[in-house]
Amino acid sequence: MAKQQVNPNPSSKLEWFEDRLPLISFMKAELVDYPAPKNLNYAWNFGSLAGIALILQILTGFFLTMHYKADAGLAFDSIQHIMRDVNWGWLIRNLHMVGASFFFIVVYIHIGRGLYYGSYKSPREILWGMGVLIFFLMMATAFLGYVLPWGQMSFWGAQVITNLISVIPLVGDDIVIWLWGGYGVNDATLTRFYSLHFLLPFVILGVVFLHLWALHNRKVKSNNPTGIDLKKDTDFVPFHPYYTIKDTFGLAVYMLPFLFMVFYMPDYLGHTDNYIPADPMTTPAHIVPEWYFLPFYAILRAINFNILFLDSKLLGVIAMVSSIAILFILPILDKSKVRSARFRPIYKVMFWAFIANFFFLGWLGAKPAEQPYTAMSQVATALYFGFFLALPWIAKIEKTKPLPTSI
Amino acid sequence: MKKLLSLLTVLTLVSTSALAAGGSVELPKQPWSFQSVKADWEKDKIYRGYQVATQVCMSCHGFKYIKHRDLMKVGFTEAEVKKLAEEMEMSVMDTFKSALSDEDAIAAYAKALPDLSVMNKARPGGADYTYALLTGYKEAPEGFNLPDTGSYNEYFPGHVIAMPAPLAEGQVDYFDGTNATVKQMASDVAYFMQWTAEPELTTRQQLGVYVLLYVFILAILLYFTKKRIWSDIKRKDTE
Repeated sequence: MAKQQVNPNPSSKLEWFEDRLPLISFMKAELVDYPAPKNLNYAWNFGSLAGIALILQILTGFFLTMHYKADAGLAFDSIQHIMRDVNWGWLIRNLHMVGASFFFIVVYIHIGRGLYYGSYKSPREILWGMGVLIFFLMMATAFLGYVLPWGQMSFWGAQVITNLISVIPLVGDDIVIWLWGGYGVNDATLTRFYSLHFLLPFVILGVVFLHLWALHNRKVKSNNPTGIDLKKDTDFVPFHPYYTIKDTFGLAVYMLPFLFMVFYMPDYLGHTDNYIPADPMTTPAHIVPEWYFLPFYAILRAINFNILFLDSKLLGVIAMVSSIAILFILPILDKSKVRSARFRPIYKVMFWAFIANFFFLGWLGAKPAEQPYTAMSQVATALYFGFFLALPWIAKIEKTKPLPTSI
Repeated sequence: MKKLLSLLTVLTLVSTSALAAGGSVELPKQPWSFQSVKADWEKDKIYRGYQVATQVCMSCHGFKYIKHRDLMKVGFTEAEVKKLAEEMEMSVMDTFKSALSDEDAIAAYAKALPDLSVMNKARPGGADYTYALLTGYKEAPEGFNLPDTGSYNEYFPGHVIAMPAPLAEGQVDYFDGTNATVKQMASDVAYFMQWTAEPELTTRQQLGVYVLLYVFILAILLYFTKKRIWSDIKRKDTE
């Protein structure tokens, strides 16, 4: 066990440093030598893409903070200041704004890939759970960020979403007032939302680190399209150069639609009402959240009936939160030993039905809360949860296809 | 997985365009010159739009993000800009304020009137909407219940608009002698408002081509690099 002590006569300065802080060997092990399955398809690009999208948000956001004013009287004007007077301000803001939407697209595909190939199953339950936590944090961050331009949709979106907290029995109303820093969304709310919007991305970064740690654990490692455990060394390739180049190529492809939106349709995914300054006296005709929240917004509004003594509003919030939180217990719900949908005929159909239903919910979320959309939302919500609740039974009845012995 | 990606793309586009389409009345599309990727702001059209904006719109609305100096970014000389500002008894650094104060507006209309700087971005349809609205004043159809305080407009949501028809034939004396029809003025001021809403539009569109071209070529090169690097893995497999 001689290696357990530092070498008193290091042969190089690097060895001296490495003995004290093995930074270089850590980076070499995780970014260069990390053994990755050699059969990963392009669906596996979205993990690193999500990381890059996060970094891009942090960098562009950092430059925006230098010019943005988190004050109800100045916020809207400061955005216009960024768009007009700050050198390349329009580019930085468009990257940040479109970047948020694209971050969600990437993460949705990343989650979809995990669902399809059973990446949540043992031994990746914690890895998966960290991912769900990141998704929650992302949603909070995006919501907070959308409030900052202090347009009509910012203001009224904040009003609607923060009001959801008031459904908590007994203390809900007090919590909302505490959160607002007043008796409605106001200047104090904007300022604290700004603080939180600055803080949360770094919390996300921390959880991303845990997510990667759980992945790079040599007892876990990446899943692969076959979903089988890989045992031979020849099934793996070192991360560099094989996946560094593949991820870089994927990044360039991703940049094409992303930059197209940044340069040609920067406002397409946003709402025109957000170019109207926030006005507490005028409610917009339709309060619509950002597109990436629409499926969950539909679930929230689908519950318009009381159950016993439980109020519909409370049930709606519970349904909405559960619709994401249920992902945490997915590894428990899905008892099938086979990971990849390639070898699970029933699950494969269920997966695509789930995806289609998810888009349907998104479409419903943009519709007004009236019939027939409410009834449709109720059916779609039932289907959404039905997918998860059916999994334990499917595992019992499904005849899976024979698994390959190696890739 | 390819299926997933194409499905996601298609459905995202479908659901977002469904979201973007809010208005009930189809807006007639105008052939705006700024819609070309090569477009620069046309100084003469901006100038005519400026005349409509300052002589008509600004009786009641402001353009608070715009100063005379900004016109220098679309080809006006310093002398021209100074002269225009002086004609309005303003300095080149003064922002375009409405002639109607918020207090007077509240007295007359029960609310402060909206600033027009970013109006084209604040309405679905943008410049097309502004043009349609300004040319959309009509007699209310038979049986339409029009309140005294409103005017009938084909393109305004609900058709009852508080703003009376602002443009009348020959209202503006164009610097270049262009015939000031309502359509001409509406087109010029909608164009001007596109500039005030997103002055970076033409820079953005021109630059985007080069950025995308660069990334496109980079992607092709990276693809072949990737293929080359991975080729030795394939070879090992077949050995």
